[in-house]
Amino acid sequence: MIDRRKFLTTVALGTASAAVLAACGAPAPAQTGSAENPVTINYTWWGNDDRAERTRKAIALFEEKNKDIKVNGNFTDFAGYWQKRATEAAGGGLPDVMQFDLSYMRDYGQRNQLLDLGTVKINTDAFDKSLLPSGQIRGKTYGIPTSTNAFAVYYDPAKLASLGIAEPDGTWNYDEFNKFLAEVGAKGNGALFGGTDYTGVWWMFNVWLRQNNIEAFTEDGKLGFTKDDLKKWWNLTADLRGTPALVSEERVTQLAPKSPFGSNVTGTEVTWDNFMAGYLADSGAKELKLVPVPSDDKDNLGLFLKPSMLMAASAKTKNKDAAARFIDFMVNDPEVGQIFKTSRGVPASKTQRDGTTFEGTDKLVVDYEKSIEKYLKDAPEPPIVGFGTLEASFKRVASDMNYGKLTVDGAADAWFKEAEDLIKQNA
Amino acid sequence: MTTMATPTKPAAEAPAPVYNPKSESAGAKRTKSAIFHIVALALTGVVLYPALWMIASSFKPNSEIGGANTSLWSSNFSFDNFVTAMDGIGGVSTLQFFTNSLILAIGAVVGTILSASVSAYAFARIKFPGRSVFFGMMIATLLLPFHVVIIPQYIVFQQLGLVDTYIPLLIGKFLAADAFFVFLMVQFMRNLPAELDEAARIDGAGHVRIFTSIMLPLMKPALISTSIFSFIWSWNDFLGPLLYLNTPEKYPLPLALRLFVDQTQSSDYGAMIAMSVLALLPVLIFFLVFQRYIVEGVSTQGLKG
Repeated sequence: MIDRRKFLTTVALGTASAAVLAACGAPAPAQTGSAENPVTINYTWWGNDDRAERTRKAIALFEEKNKDIKVNGNFTDFAGYWQKRATEAAGGGLPDVMQFDLSYMRDYGQRNQLLDLGTVKINTDAFDKSLLPSGQIRGKTYGIPTSTNAFAVYYDPAKLASLGIAEPDGTWNYDEFNKFLAEVGAKGNGALFGGTDYTGVWWMFNVWLRQNNIEAFTEDGKLGFTKDDLKKWWNLTADLRGTPALVSEERVTQLAPKSPFGSNVTGTEVTWDNFMAGYLADSGAKELKLVPVPSDDKDNLGLFLKPSMLMAASAKTKNKDAAARFIDFMVNDPEVGQIFKTSRGVPASKTQRDGTTFEGTDKLVVDYEKSIEKYLKDAPEPPIVGFGTLEASFKRVASDMNYGKLTVDGAADAWFKEAEDLIKQNA
Repeated sequence: MTTMATPTKPAAEAPAPVYNPKSESAGAKRTKSAIFHIVALALTGVVLYPALWMIASSFKPNSEIGGANTSLWSSNFSFDNFVTAMDGIGGVSTLQFFTNSLILAIGAVVGTILSASVSAYAFARIKFPGRSVFFGMMIATLLLPFHVVIIPQYIVFQQLGLVDTYIPLLIGKFLAADAFFVFLMVQFMRNLPAELDEAARIDGAGHVRIFTSIMLPLMKPALISTSIFSFIWSWNDFLGPLLYLNTPEKYPLPLALRLFVDQTQSSDYGAMIAMSVLALLPVLIFFLVFQRYIVEGVSTQGLKG
């Protein structure tokens, strides 16, 4: 994946040169199309073969319903996607409509690369009000969520049954969860570990902070938590490290790019609920189940829906209206929901969600998100610039800690130093 | 001559006999040769293991690739991955990706050969004002990291409306922008005896004649190494096509390969590996056909004229 620093330099360099070039040409007038002479918009997304196929169907449906617009689709893998966008942003050639990821929202939004979608007609009535802020920066809407995901604990019921362990019901505190991991690890007898060290996952830390009513980032883009909070968090599993409750970091590295859970090496995994299809395919398991994450406060699970992806438009698009109509169609139309099911995540718009029939795996994920509805809090705002680097270094430092190279205190010091340097750099 | 000690003789043996190749018995020779071959084969095995792993994995079901599966062969041997790989992606057939890659690679080879050889001739044989300055500048472009020029280049092609065509990917090859190849050929040409073209000049040949009739035939090894490198680099290029091509119908193989693996959804490692195996074939064939020239081409570079 392109690293954040390289990305920033690329964009910074490029925007400067693009600004010079842009000054030379007057803005083109908005175009409108007709059935005989349709306007063409470019739409780009990341994803695999399966998503390409589904998107092709959705585009065909859109073109059929909107004879005055033609949509040119193109796609790449996730890492290449952002390299390409960075170059295009610099050259002023961003596609009209783009699939977007939450962690890149602020970078592009703050640099005025994205169209303020509040200025065009997109219906957001069917959206949960707690979700929309995740596409907004300083009151301007740069992204509309297509779909959501939430944090959950995965487990394989068949594996638990074979070890004689009762299935969890998801009402547990950290102590109970740790005991559960230890039990799976002990009975797993070296073949099955309890789980991966969940304290190494940034988003789980974020959930825990919310359980303790701490915001991860302040309004002005600083860290909202202290070093002591982080030490407390990393100490949660201090007793489990090096025991069968947690799979060793060496093993995790050996298994990459597959996850330990997908490789049938751990009994549980704490991550986003939309990984279901991937885990099923990797592990070959018949059935996987989802339960809520542990919390020491029974009434505050700290959970939230995060947009698994958003739709955004380029600030320089010449076809604002066509772009807006396409975005509206992609996020709201029930038939689009039928095409994608939960492959983008659970549809964010109620119109789309209600118009889609979910079966099998899809139903599990949708039902899980329904079951945690009463615990949901506001979705996070777009993370601070450089968030990708912070998230990656969180994982790296935690992994060094699991290797035994760093103590909890040393790890907290190391991460805070990196984080503060990065925030200063991007301020 | 005591520099070569047989590995079979322990160093501690005393008194150390003076080594004499002539007195070495046939048996010792055979042991030495056997040990040499075993070591060489072991090293080859280590080096080739990833390729072997790739080929073996292309016949395995997706859930048995990587992760906790350490065995090389699977009992569930099947060609399914190749079938999926040949199915294409998002409505574009895999054959199309191959054709695109071939067009780009052959275009790159033709362009580089034509432009680099002519430029090299000018640098090596024609005395024109500022020659050394231009030569220095050309070498300087070798030191310029590709990433520095990405954005300016993209802006140029974007303003010219050439994005989503093969022109940005090929035009540099036809304009001798690959300084490495020009340099390689200049060095090669400088080693060719000047008497040859002086003789031709006396016979009344001009630059065009000298270049086509004398230089080109003599440069065959350099031309072939250039073709091979140029073909392989273009075949494997990911970033260029990623940045300049928008329509999936125009994608070459390296872009298509990535589309089987999506960390945010499910990954079909089997199909990706099967396609890697297929993508490797043309390069492998190209290399096998021309490999003896590679060694010749590169080793001649080192000879002093």
